[in-house]
Amino acid sequence: MRTVDTLDLTKLSQHNTGTASGKKANRLKATKLGSVIVNDYWADLFSAKEAGKKVVWYNGTYIPPFFQAHDLAWVHGEAWSAYLAARHEEQPAQRAGEDRGYDRELCSYARTHIGQALLDKVKLAEGQLDPQSPRAIAISKLPAPDMLINAYPYCSSGQQWDETIYRLYGKKIPIFNVSIPLLWGGRQDAGYMRGTEWEERSDYVEMQLRAMAAFLSEHTGRPYDWDRLSEVMSFIKKAAILRKEAMDLCSVSPAPASFFDWIVSIAHVNFLPGTQRIVDYFEAVKAEIQQRIADGVGAVPNEKYRLFFDGMMNWNKIGWLADKFAAVDAAVVAGRYTHMSFWQEPELVDLKNPVRGMAQNYLVCPNNHGAPIMIGEIDRICD
Amino acid sequence: MREILDIFSGIAGDSLGYARAWKERTGRPVIGSFPMHFPSELAHAAGALPVIIQEADEPITDGEAGVFSFYCGYNRSVVDQAMKGRFDFLDAIMFGDHCVQLLGTADVVRWNVPDLKILFNQLISSMNADWAWEEARGAFAQLRKELDELLGKSVTDDALRASITLFNRNRALIRRLYALRNTRRLALSARDMQHVVKSSMVMDRADHTALLEQLVALVEGGAVPRSTGMPVYLSGHLCQAPKLELLDMIEECGTTVVADDLYHGYRFIASDVGDAGDPLDALATWYLQRNRKVPCPTRVDTEADWVEFLLEAVRETGAQGIIVLLAKFCEPHMYHIPEIKEAFDRAGISMLLIETEHDSMPIEAFKTRVETFVEISRRRLVAA
Ligand code: SF4
Ligand code: SF4
Repeated sequence: MRTVDTLDLTKLSQHNTGTASGKKANRLKATKLGSVIVNDYWADLFSAKEAGKKVVWYNGTYIPPFFQAHDLAWVHGEAWSAYLAARHEEQPAQRAGEDRGYDRELCSYARTHIGQALLDKVKLAEGQLDPQSPRAIAISKLPAPDMLINAYPYCSSGQQWDETIYRLYGKKIPIFNVSIPLLWGGRQDAGYMRGTEWEERSDYVEMQLRAMAAFLSEHTGRPYDWDRLSEVMSFIKKAAILRKEAMDLCSVSPAPASFFDWIVSIAHVNFLPGTQRIVDYFEAVKAEIQQRIADGVGAVPNEKYRLFFDGMMNWNKIGWLADKFAAVDAAVVAGRYTHMSFWQEPELVDLKNPVRGMAQNYLVCPNNHGAPIMIGEIDRICD
Repeated sequence: MREILDIFSGIAGDSLGYARAWKERTGRPVIGSFPMHFPSELAHAAGALPVIIQEADEPITDGEAGVFSFYCGYNRSVVDQAMKGRFDFLDAIMFGDHCVQLLGTADVVRWNVPDLKILFNQLISSMNADWAWEEARGAFAQLRKELDELLGKSVTDDALRASITLFNRNRALIRRLYALRNTRRLALSARDMQHVVKSSMVMDRADHTALLEQLVALVEGGAVPRSTGMPVYLSGHLCQAPKLELLDMIEECGTTVVADDLYHGYRFIASDVGDAGDPLDALATWYLQRNRKVPCPTRVDTEADWVEFLLEAVRETGAQGIIVLLAKFCEPHMYHIPEIKEAFDRAGISMLLIETEHDSMPIEAFKTRVETFVEISRRRLVAA
C-alpha cells in the first residue's frame, strides 16, 4: 500500500467541491438497501412507547443484542448525535449544551447528547421551543429513557457522560455501568487475544454482561431469555462474517468498495436489530463487490492511491469526503473505525453460550488496546 | 515555623531533584506514580520512595510533538518531561487512568521511553458496582505483585500496615493544619498549604511527618495571627497543582482561602486507610470510601454527589464564595461545571470560574475578575 506522503494532500483542499475534477465516488448500490433498514430502526424507536416497550439509552460498545433479546427499544447516544448531525440538526443541541456552560472542548458527541437531553427535558416542556420547529419535532420523537446503560470501552469520559444524564433526569432512572478495561498489554505473555490479561479481562466483562442482563430483568420484571439472545446472535454472527469476507475481497485493485461504503454500513453491525435483514444486506454488499471485481470496477473512477483512514467520522460530510478523495484518485480502502471496531472476531461467539465471545469482541475494539498492539493490527490490515 | 515551610517549599518546587538526591543518598529505588488514585503505601512498604509525578513549570518543548495540543497541561508536561529524559532515574512509573487523556499519555511515554519500566493498572471507575470492591482489591494485589517482582522483594502484610500507619499519621497532621487554618488559629496562605501537601507527595514520609509534628506543635503552642480577608473556598484543579502566582493573586485581592478540595490540598489527605486486618482489603475500602468523602469527577458513583458536597463544604467552612479552578481541557471536570454553577446560583453563593493553562495565564485579567467577585460577594453578605 502507498503511504500518505506520496499523495499530494494539498489537492484535497484546492478543490472547492469534490466534483471539480468531475470524478465522483462510485458508491455501492447495496448501501441504499441498508439505509432502509436504518430508517425502519428509527421509526420503530420513535414509536416504542406506543408499542409498550421500555426504552434503554445507552452509550459505548455494541450491546443492543442484549436489549433486543429482552424485547426493549434502545437508543445509542452517539448514533442519535450522528442522526441529528446527518440532518444538520446537531448545532442547536450543542448550543443548548454550551448555553448551559458546557465547554466547547467537551466531546461533541457528548455535548449534542446532553444538549438534547436538556432541550428535551427543559425547553420543550417549558414551551420555550416552538413545538412545530423541525428541531423540536426531531427531538420530541426520541422516547425518554427508562434505563441508562453505559458500556464504554477505554474512554472514561463515556461513563461521566451517562452519569451527567442520570443527574439531569433527577437521579430517578436506574443506571448501570459495564466497565470494559483497556488491554494495556504490559505483561510478558501479552498479545492480540492471548495472555493472562486477556483471559482475566474476558472473565471480567462476561461477568458484567450477565449482571447487566440481571439488571434488565430487574427493571422490567421479566426473566431474561438467553435462548433468544442466542437466536439474535445467530443473525449478527452471520452478518459479521459476511461483512468481513466482503471486506477481505477489497484488497484487489481497484478496490471495489471504499471506507465510505463501510462507514454507511456501520449502523448495521453497531446498533441495528439482529435479524435476517442484516444478513441479507451484507449478502447483497458482498455480491455487488464480487460483481465489481469481475467487471474490474472500482469505488473511485481512477484509483492511483490507497489509503487507510484513522480517526472518527464526520457524519455530516460522508458524501462530500467520499467525492473529495475520488476527485484526487485516492481510494480510502480501510479504516480503524470500519475495519477494526465492530464484531471483528465473530468466530469467538459460540451460539450455544454467546456471552463470553461477545465480551471478547467488545474487548478487541482497537481503541481498547495499548498502542503497540493496536499499531501492530493496523499494520497487519495494511499488508 | 518559616524554616519548616521553606523546606517543604524547596522540595515541592523540585520534586525530581529531591528524589534523585534521595536515591543517591540511600541507594534505594524511586517509583514515580500518576496522581489521584494510587496508594503510595504499596511502594513505600517495598522500601522505595514513592513520588507523585508533578506538572513541571518549564515550557513544553520536546513534548509538543508527542501529544495532542488539546490535552491538559498535566498530560503535556508529563510527556515533555519523559521525552527530555527527566524520568530516566526512576526505577518504574505506576500508571493508571482517571481520564482518557492519561491513557494516551501512558502510551506515548511507553513508546518514547522504552527503557522506563511501567506498571500499569486500571482501577474501576464505577464505584458502586457490586464488584467494585473486589476489582479494586484485585488491582492493588496485582500492583503489589508487580512491585515485588520489580524490586525483588516480598512485602509482608506487617510492612504494608506499618506504611499505612505512617501515611495515616502524615495525613492526620495535615488535616490538623487544615482545621487550625479553618478556625482562624493559623495564618497559612494557600501557597504555604500547597507546599505542605505537595511536599508530602514526594518527600520521604517519615522525614515529612517528623517536620509536620514540629510544625503542628509550634502552631498549637502559640497562636499565630490569622489574616482577615474574605473567606473563600477553592475547588477543582485535579492532577496538577495550581500555579503559585495564581494562589497569591487570589489572596492579594482581599480573600483568605479557608478550605479547598484541590488534589494538591484537602482531597489528597482527606481519607485514611484502615491499619488493622488485611491491608489490601483496607486499601480497597479506602479507595471506595474516599470518593464519598470528597467526590471525584473522574469516578462515577450514584452514592456521591460532588455538587452537594461542595455546597455543604462551603457552608461548613464559613466560606463566602467559591472559586473553581479548571485546568484547561480537563474533560472530567468540564462535565460538572454547569451543575456547580447552577447549584451555587440557586444557593445565592458567589462562584467564580477560572480556567488555568500550563503555558501562560492572563493574571491581570484574572485579577480584575477576582476583585469583582470579592465585591459582589461582600455586597451579597451585606444584603443578606
Ligand atoms: S472516545 Fe472520544 S468521542 Fe468517544 S466519548 Fe470519548 S471523547 Fe467522546
Ligand atoms: S487534570 Fe483532568 S484532563 Fe488532566 S490528567 Fe487530570 S483528570 Fe485528566
